[in-house]
Amino acid sequence: MYRLFVLRNDKSDCVGGRALVSLWALLLCAGNSTLAQSTAPPVSPNAPFSIRATHLLGFPNSKNNCNGTLSIKDDTLRFEQDAKPGAEVKIASVQGEFLGSESKQVGGTPVKVGKAAAPFGSGRVVSLFAHKKYDTLTLEYVDGDGGVHGAIFQVHKGQGELVRNELVARGASSSPGEAPPTKQSTSEVAHEDK
Amino acid sequence: MKTSKPNSWVIYLAASVMIAVAFSGRLSGQTAAVKLPGGSSGSGTQWCLQVERIDPGQVDLAHSFQVAIYENLLEELNKTKRFKYVLREGDSKASETPDLLILKTMVVKYTAGSETKRAVTTVSGATKLTVRSQLLTREGRIVLESTVNGNVLFFGSDLRATHNLARNIAKMIKQSAGLGSDQLARDWQPSLGW
Repeated sequence: MYRLFVLRNDKSDCVGGRALVSLWALLLCAGNSTLAQSTAPPVSPNAPFSIRATHLLGFPNSKNNCNGTLSIKDDTLRFEQDAKPGAEVKIASVQGEFLGSESKQVGGTPVKVGKAAAPFGSGRVVSLFAHKKYDTLTLEYVDGDGGVHGAIFQVHKGQGELVRNELVARGASSSPGEAPPTKQSTSEVAHEDK
Repeated sequence: MKTSKPNSWVIYLAASVMIAVAFSGRLSGQTAAVKLPGGSSGSGTQWCLQVERIDPGQVDLAHSFQVAIYENLLEELNKTKRFKYVLREGDSKASETPDLLILKTMVVKYTAGSETKRAVTTVSGATKLTVRSQLLTREGRIVLESTVNGNVLFFGSDLRATHNLARNIAKMIKQSAGLGSDQLARDWQPSLGW
């Protein structure tokens, strides 16, 4: 027993050292992977980028509240409605991009009709669950005459940041003094100027 | 029997000529209307309007709301056909336009609502916007000033409040007396400042 203890004791320095080294290696790997996750993926300057988006308003030659594909290729931001010619804006003309979040009802007209048809107003309960959070991406850009335009897109949660990073990486001027994303669907808070 | 056939042909011919003449008159009327937007104001000067970006003032209003008000205002003011041109902020054409009015809009009060709350409770969750609109001459003389509201009380997304607000501002400007006449800038006394 004593011998065993002594043997273990003799090895303890070596084992402890190995454990320390392996712990260091583990920490280093974990740190590296965390770092890789936290930083944005590298954006190659000419790689095309596209996501599904809903155009809420403001983009030229596009209908309001229509779904389509928002894509960035070379120096152009383009919105294409399904099976229709797209509209585009030069990224260099984008002066500001702002993120927000919005909670919207999903299901469209069928859900609305279903809610209305439910007896004793029980359809209202559906409204509690039939909503989804989206990101809103607000862009400000100038046209050829220098006139200021604004456009708002609704994208899936988390994708607004990607589009903004992509735009900034390709030469859009980053928004001056931008605050963190503002929630539009919050409880009622009145702000009054004094 | 023989005489009735030529007669019917003559009648058909006359009818088709009449229809053609009627349609051509209608078309020419339409083109004339397009050429002279807002021609109902008579002999008075047709003013151009430049819409400035929304001033959020002391209110913490999301950028998407500011852009939505601005874009909706441009759309609604174009619909009124009271102005020769409706220009955007920064548009270089504004410096060449002699009869220019400037529309400034400042947010006074904002109550953030919730679409879900509106759908569930009906009575709460309203989104309310109050702005002060000023119509100024190039020299800075206030021509028209008014406080306008835009709300979403029951149905629709929060951004619908901006559409309602823009429609109310356009309505207010349309209903105001004197717009479109030469007397405009002279008749109105400078009223309250900001």
